[in-house]
Amino acid sequence: MSEAGPPRPRIAISVRSGRGFLNLRLNPRRGQALEAAERILGQPMPRAANTFTAGENEVYWLGPDEWLVATGAKRVSALGSELAEALGGFHAAVNDVSGGHVELLVRGADARTVLAKGCTLDLHPREFVPGQCAQTGLGRAAVLLAAGDPSTCTIVVRRSFSGYLRRWLAYAARPRGARLPAL
Amino acid sequence: MAAGQPNRLPHGGRIDRSQPLAFSFDGRAFEGFAGDTLASALMAAGVSLVGRSFKLRRPRGIVGSGAEEPNAIMQIGEGAAAQPNLPATRVELRGGLNARPTRGWPGVRFDIGAVNDFFGRVLGAGFYYKTFMWPRSWWKHYEHAIRKSAGFGQAPDGPDPDRYEHMNAHCDVLVAGGGPAGLMAALAAAKSGARVILADEQNEFGGSLLASAASIDGVPAAEWAASAVAELQGLDDCVLLPSSTVFGYHDHNFLTIAERCAVHPGSSNGEGVRERLWRVRAGQVVLAQGSFERPLVFCNNDRPGVMLASAVSTYIDRYAVLPGRRAVVFTNNDSAYRAAISLAGAGAEVAAIVDSRFGGDGRTGPAGELGARVQALGIPVLAGHVVSDVAGRRRVTGASIARWNGDSWGNVRSTIRMDCDLVAVSGGWSPAVHLHSQAGGRLDWDESRHCFLPAEARQAHFSAGAGNGKWSLRECLADGLRAGADAVSKLGLKPVAVRAPDTDADAGENPIEPLWRVPAARDADRCPRQFIDFQNDTTVADIRLAVREGYRNVEHVKRYTALGFGTDQGKLGNINGMAVLANVLGKAIPEVGTTTFRPAYTPVSFGVCAGESVGELYDPVRTTAIHEWHEAAGAPMETVGQWHRPWYFPRDGEDLHAAVARECLAVRKSLGVMDASTLGKIDACGPDVVEFLERIYTHNVGRMKVGRCAYGVIPGEDGMLMDDGVMARTGEHRFYLTTTTGGAAAVLDWMEKWLQTEWPELEVYLTSLTDHYSTIAAAGPNSRSLLEKLGCDIPLDKESFPFMTTRPAVLAGMRVTLFRVSFSGELAFEINIDSNDALAMWRKIMEAGAEFDITPYGTETMHVLRAEKGFIIAGQDTDGSVTPVDLGMNWLLSKDKDFLGKRSLERPDCLREDRKQWVGLLSQDGRTVLPEGTQLIGDAGKPAAMCGHVTSSYFSACLGHPIALALVAGGQQRKGETIHAALSGRDPLPVRIVSPVFYDPKGQRQHV
Amino acid sequence: MLLIECPWCGPRAETEFSYGGEAGIERPADPYALSDAEWADYLFFRRNPRGAHRELWHHAQGCRRWFGVERDTVSYRIEKSYRLSGAGSGRPAAAHIEASKEKRR
Repeated sequence: MSEAGPPRPRIAISVRSGRGFLNLRLNPRRGQALEAAERILGQPMPRAANTFTAGENEVYWLGPDEWLVATGAKRVSALGSELAEALGGFHAAVNDVSGGHVELLVRGADARTVLAKGCTLDLHPREFVPGQCAQTGLGRAAVLLAAGDPSTCTIVVRRSFSGYLRRWLAYAARPRGARLPAL
Repeated sequence: MAAGQPNRLPHGGRIDRSQPLAFSFDGRAFEGFAGDTLASALMAAGVSLVGRSFKLRRPRGIVGSGAEEPNAIMQIGEGAAAQPNLPATRVELRGGLNARPTRGWPGVRFDIGAVNDFFGRVLGAGFYYKTFMWPRSWWKHYEHAIRKSAGFGQAPDGPDPDRYEHMNAHCDVLVAGGGPAGLMAALAAAKSGARVILADEQNEFGGSLLASAASIDGVPAAEWAASAVAELQGLDDCVLLPSSTVFGYHDHNFLTIAERCAVHPGSSNGEGVRERLWRVRAGQVVLAQGSFERPLVFCNNDRPGVMLASAVSTYIDRYAVLPGRRAVVFTNNDSAYRAAISLAGAGAEVAAIVDSRFGGDGRTGPAGELGARVQALGIPVLAGHVVSDVAGRRRVTGASIARWNGDSWGNVRSTIRMDCDLVAVSGGWSPAVHLHSQAGGRLDWDESRHCFLPAEARQAHFSAGAGNGKWSLRECLADGLRAGADAVSKLGLKPVAVRAPDTDADAGENPIEPLWRVPAARDADRCPRQFIDFQNDTTVADIRLAVREGYRNVEHVKRYTALGFGTDQGKLGNINGMAVLANVLGKAIPEVGTTTFRPAYTPVSFGVCAGESVGELYDPVRTTAIHEWHEAAGAPMETVGQWHRPWYFPRDGEDLHAAVARECLAVRKSLGVMDASTLGKIDACGPDVVEFLERIYTHNVGRMKVGRCAYGVIPGEDGMLMDDGVMARTGEHRFYLTTTTGGAAAVLDWMEKWLQTEWPELEVYLTSLTDHYSTIAAAGPNSRSLLEKLGCDIPLDKESFPFMTTRPAVLAGMRVTLFRVSFSGELAFEINIDSNDALAMWRKIMEAGAEFDITPYGTETMHVLRAEKGFIIAGQDTDGSVTPVDLGMNWLLSKDKDFLGKRSLERPDCLREDRKQWVGLLSQDGRTVLPEGTQLIGDAGKPAAMCGHVTSSYFSACLGHPIALALVAGGQQRKGETIHAALSGRDPLPVRIVSPVFYDPKGQRQHV
Repeated sequence: MLLIECPWCGPRAETEFSYGGEAGIERPADPYALSDAEWADYLFFRRNPRGAHRELWHHAQGCRRWFGVERDTVSYRIEKSYRLSGAGSGRPAAAHIEASKEKRR
């Protein structure tokens, strides 16, 4: 296939390997549980819905009493134990879910436009700003989408859907020539 | 050799004469120019016959110039990339285009009067119901002939080679329609800082401006449009979508747009996009889709050469094509005078303008500028006259003109006959209120404009321009500006002042006078046909017949006469039809009302609806962490929910039955291994977890010791089994729950629903671990030896690690959780492991198991093994109407506590003794494997009452005979009884009711 | 496609949600005190009003919260969405009134 002709979308899709994940549930209104978790994590937990904090780990808001901690695969086991211990006195749940998630990085000037083919969120850089995340649908899979700079998004997807999602992304990023209006 | 372009004007138009394009129509070669539509190119080439009508096979020509075209319906392209049912007026011409009329039989140019006569006699209103449905057995003969003759186009004959895609978009203001009003609205909104999407169905923005002789702000209208578009392009957050039809206005300001991209069908090799579906959530919407000119209803008004007056202007001014040499213009309003002026300007002779108005006041035409202009051109005006009939069959040759006294239903005698090859008609204008109506907006009948106008909106939208009843260019521009500013204000933005442009367009029109049916020499049922809906051959007589036969409601008349069906959805004929219906019923038009407007506004391809969800992306395929091994092993896959699971692992060309028999025996005799990772897995923890699970499950959860496993079932509140699975107590306040593969999400949602809505006081957290853990089931007498060989850090003997317990362990150097549970009835271990390590573990297992002839097995063997043991599969053996009692699970139902569904088990219906209960079945002949779903009957006589059905059925290699599971009325008390299986094509087969546990009924093998 | 305001995540497309039926059905405190007919009424019978309807929705593809929605079954207009108080599965929570938001169309 000739590479002449209109350009393909400017987008690069990669898998971030070596990642570990913890699912964390606690009641933010109950005692000092949040603060106890923050001491172990070494960073603030996002309190606002659909935001994340980035530090040594990324901590994503999943629900009013649920978070996803993304960290290094090597660190996840110890971090999980430390969190479980620190939260021992609270009603909390810490689960290692490293095997259950795949993290993808989507970068490029057309990244958001390609994502918009399969996502009903408003991904305009003014609307979906760095620090925001959202659980939503992409293609026909459920994903966690997080905004980096205007040309970068992180996608966390359940492992069993990751093959489908990578095929979907590759397909959506493929066609050349079609006018891709900036969102 | 391509035919010439005899009707092409020497200059003018928006075509590029330096780019000739060769194309073919109906097998003949033609040439047009870039900028042409297929319709304008055909007309330039002098093709006046473009198809035949639906029922009556009458020759038909091009009537319109846009989405309203009813006759020129084309099949474009061949083979897999073919596109059926496109109006030629919306097909942009391109080189090599290959078009055929979809409505051609028995041949566009081949005229059979006999065919016409035959169809004409039998195909009156309601012909579907009256003629063809009776006698019923004849329909299959009729259908073939009708489909062939009706010409619905042909579906592509292979998978579509092109790509389609979806695009979700959000905007503050969506403007539908890029004519004068739409451009002004978009400018007003975008300049005020709103995010704007402007979509127009044509490939060029401007709408009517592209064929307008007017000037705006001192420049020609089309030039002004181009500069407006340029200005919009320069603004941030303004998306311009040409060749894009807003076809659906759905709830909550969600609109769908079909964009035709630059890729020609079949040419992209999947590299480009042929069509794109925009799914837009808009804050506010401006509807500026213009209006449709109405034809006039007179005898033989469907003859080729009878065209909409506005279309005549468009072909002349936009495409430089002259539709006729000698024209009669027939109108009841001023707008058609412009067609006369265009015709005269292009060198055609206008024999007369026949104007139904001004009959009483002795004037000979309209006052004002238009009147003066036609007078200056020397065009005669016949005021107070109508065209009552036209002559000519394959092309109009003349018009019969009569004086009119204002009575639509009387008879008239034509006194004037004029030769002509074109009759340009205008019966007034109908705003394109489709989207407004789809959005739930009300319509009001306007007594002065004689059309339905958009009234109160139900969603956030404004109508503007001709679509809002503003006919003049000056009004259109101002109305668009107003609507854009209104939309911006509604959004809470401050509208930036935009000046309304100035135009020299005609002002001060004379009012339209209604003319819904032109009287003829004989009454409406006996005069030559007066067409209302060209595409469906619906005539005035058909509507009168429907009313005579008792139809009153417009929706019923529509269905009885087929008015407004078809690919054009009645854009030309609907309002005329409703007005005629009102006339016949003696009602006012608003009393009759309109039929319901539904998406899609114009036809939309299946491809663009599907978008990316085709082929392997049709539905997500979920795979386990071990999937690649299964694929490499050549296992066919079975789809379970969205999962692809290995069905069986054939060796050396084995078929399903041979492979499954081998796999089953391997598990029973030595060692099998299965990937059970698709099971749903939930971590449940919290101080109230026992109380919570007691309410969800039927057994005594609290009595389970830490490390114990239990089989549990989850009923709905109606007592019917919803899901089942093994659960394990992994801590004082922690449980590990498993669900069926298909039930994973539903069970988690069910539990969360109760926690969140009914029992928020219970402190329990649920976390899905389905994807995190992979599950490998090692089953068979050698499964313990396998684990020992792999190296396990805990003792595996029966006393240390008994049946139905769980232990964390290190196996083969990897951290796992072991469960001593069995879905096969054999000694078995389920190994739960982090999915990141699962494939490595599987490989180690296969390696270590070699000495036991370890046999991987798939879902089919799993099903057979569990059926031999009488274990249910929720969703296969149950269907939402089966209680745990029906399944023989009374032992699972705690008497010491309440649980969801328990009360329902005491409902009289759940206590009926003749409920269908789950039992085993054995074929008496010892060899017939009953098809699943087979109905069961008591005795073999006919007719026989059904008493149950087969839910699962297999050949058991281990037992050497078929086994089946079934739901049988009162079955649990009927063991030993012989009933019959009703088999298709053979005598009922005697089957014996037995216990559902066929193998190892005491359950000793799993306890070793 | 409806635009539904999740009380936590804000307005999201209908495809992210699943429908949970009529809200405000109070589960009888003692099911056994009910006659079979009364129990069947609780189990099976639901209002089907023309107009205002309170219903449960679940943000299945989002925060996994169940919440209440007041929707007009004729116009489909959503008047408000609200967090739940628990028992009765559908009463607006007094403690969460701040979350009840006027919905745009």
